[in-house]
Amino acid sequence: MAEAPTPRSEARSASGSGVGRAAPPRRVLLVFIAPAFVLYTLFLIYPLVQALIFSLFEWKSTVRGDFVGLDNFTELFTRFPLDEQLPRAFIHNIVFYLVTMAVMVTLALLFAVLLQRARRGRGFLRVVYVLPYMISPLVVGYIWSLILNPTFGPVNSVLKELGLGELARPWLGDPSLAFPVVILVNAWYYLGFPMLLFAAGLAAIPEDYAEAAEVDGASTWQVFRHVTFPLLIPVFGTVAILTFIYSFNVFGLVWALSGVDGGPVGTTDVLGLLFYRTAFTGGVNAFGTASALAVVMFLAIFGVSMTARWWFGRLEEGLS
Amino acid sequence: MSPLPKRTIASLLAALVALPIVAPMAALAQDEAAADVNLTVWSWRPEDEDAYNEIFDVYEAAHPGVTVEFVPYVNTDYNNILATGLTGDGGPDVAQVRSYGGVQPLIEAGQLLALDDKIDTLGNFPPLALKSQTGQADGLVYGVPIAYQAFTAFYNKAIFDELGLEEPQTWDEFVTVLDTLKENDYIPISTPAKDNWMIPIVMDAIGAPRYGGQQFEQDILAGKTDFTDPDYVAAIELMNWLLPYLPEDVVGVSYEDSRALFLNELAGIFLGGSFEVGYWRDNGPDLDLGVFEVPAPPDSLAPASVVGWYDGAFGVNANSDHPDEALALVEWMGTEEFGQLYTEKVKQLSAVPGTTPEDPLLAEFGELFAASPVSYLDLVDFRYGQPTGDSLLRDGIIAMWLGEKTAEEVAADVQAGISQWFTPSGE
Repeated sequence: MAEAPTPRSEARSASGSGVGRAAPPRRVLLVFIAPAFVLYTLFLIYPLVQALIFSLFEWKSTVRGDFVGLDNFTELFTRFPLDEQLPRAFIHNIVFYLVTMAVMVTLALLFAVLLQRARRGRGFLRVVYVLPYMISPLVVGYIWSLILNPTFGPVNSVLKELGLGELARPWLGDPSLAFPVVILVNAWYYLGFPMLLFAAGLAAIPEDYAEAAEVDGASTWQVFRHVTFPLLIPVFGTVAILTFIYSFNVFGLVWALSGVDGGPVGTTDVLGLLFYRTAFTGGVNAFGTASALAVVMFLAIFGVSMTARWWFGRLEEGLS
Repeated sequence: MSPLPKRTIASLLAALVALPIVAPMAALAQDEAAADVNLTVWSWRPEDEDAYNEIFDVYEAAHPGVTVEFVPYVNTDYNNILATGLTGDGGPDVAQVRSYGGVQPLIEAGQLLALDDKIDTLGNFPPLALKSQTGQADGLVYGVPIAYQAFTAFYNKAIFDELGLEEPQTWDEFVTVLDTLKENDYIPISTPAKDNWMIPIVMDAIGAPRYGGQQFEQDILAGKTDFTDPDYVAAIELMNWLLPYLPEDVVGVSYEDSRALFLNELAGIFLGGSFEVGYWRDNGPDLDLGVFEVPAPPDSLAPASVVGWYDGAFGVNANSDHPDEALALVEWMGTEEFGQLYTEKVKQLSAVPGTTPEDPLLAEFGELFAASPVSYLDLVDFRYGQPTGDSLLRDGIIAMWLGEKTAEEVAADVQAGISQWFTPSGE
């Protein structure tokens, strides 16, 4: 099979052959880069550096006290019950990510493929699937908490009306059910976003490839497995990394479903909630401890994202 | 140059004569304008805005030249907004501040003025009220207490009448009431556990007499006992006894659900605070409600009691541009005039002694608490460090309800958490 030209290879060939326009002067490039760089520095780099500095000091409310080195980090890992809550929340974020990926990516890819083949209502269905993602996660969480309410919620009422009362549960109050329910609600909410990415990825694959494979006698599954799927690997990489970042920053949806303590008994607690509690109900030195937690969260998310990006890059190169 | 006309000369002379008289008058008018002071008061109670505006109208009428602007913010973000506002310019002159451990960050940051030698009306308050605004480090008072809350049992009189029940006077009668309600398909006691902040208060409402109430509070502060005391463990165990009388799957029941169960007359009793009275009046005006003190359980070390705590205060911003006027306003907030206006307009129990609520139910709460008060222990004494006593207790009790911990383990966790920052006075 002939190698399809990628934008990167096109760019390489254009500059290598000397054909095309010369690169603009450096100062013009700087003018174009400057607005984004200033905004990025102001709203991302500066707060990050500030959080790191904050985490090295003792705080009295919003007033900075003495330099305390790594004491705030030590407190984070040794003070009861933070020493139990932090690893528990971290594990919950990982489980949240893995299950979300497994459930949501499968469904998002399935719906994207089915929608691509749909003859009618494609636009309408796409809007329907993406609609939840356009609503605030707080609103989504609140609506689902009403739907799943054990006393007044329609889910249990319908089950009881159907004579299936024994299946009625306190969906968000049962420690064994609450976290799976939160993850499923999140998958419902977030599904539209990866589905759009997959749809865009599918649309970018020239139809000739599938047609050529079919002419060679490949079945529908074989076309998907050996042609479409490998060409979607870059999209998988993007979805995996964005979902990872989203999963580790998740807050509003879980807060609306489970409350600020991530109840019951911390079974739905995640790093976002723990950070909120530490920062806003954390006592006199809340800023110090919460900043330390923010730094730890950033290092974890940044480290894993960079590693994943490198890994997917290698995978992509291996397939091309 | 032509000579000046006579009329002009006369006018100039008149002006020269008038100048010494007019100039000081103009300066006086200017001073009066400068004396107009606008005080801003920040609060976490948007729902009380109209009431406070009416209250401050009374103050403005008695203090010409001073206007008071009430600026409320959303409750959940208020601590952060206030801490930021007090840091730089643009903060309030007077701020509603939390009580006990909640106000300590502002005190330790030096953002509030100490009021001890500046406010005479502090003398109107009992020591327990002033404790809620006392700095842990320096022992000075930083706020004029606004309100206090009492917490015990509301009951639905219509349901009690239907089942022939009376307000229980003894524990056995209390158990009979609960059993009768349950047998008749009513939820005996509505309380939330998904929103878990109420759980430690419910425990004190039921169990404070069992562990010894005020005596236990004194002993634990002095280091004579701790939370692993068998009597305190027995009080935690009472929450297990209570569980069958609570709504089904109570760990999934939110605060709003629990109130809805009581409002919709599905529950006979609601364990709640005086802060609920306004809500019942607004949302269930036809409900005929009563209130009773929960009787002391068997083996109690103290008589039956009503749980209470002081709730909020007004303090003066250390960076206020108008400290004298702000102090004068806060001084007035310690008077009986303000207290009576507060309880009538805001419909809460005023912290100022000698004030009487108009609502009979609210008044009954006040009387019950005055007759047999006991502190909400985890708030009043164990919210000065991290982790707080109430956060440990509420998580522990839910874990106990779910069969994950015993009462002894819950007590041990509370003690382990508290002992990281709490040092008894006796040590």
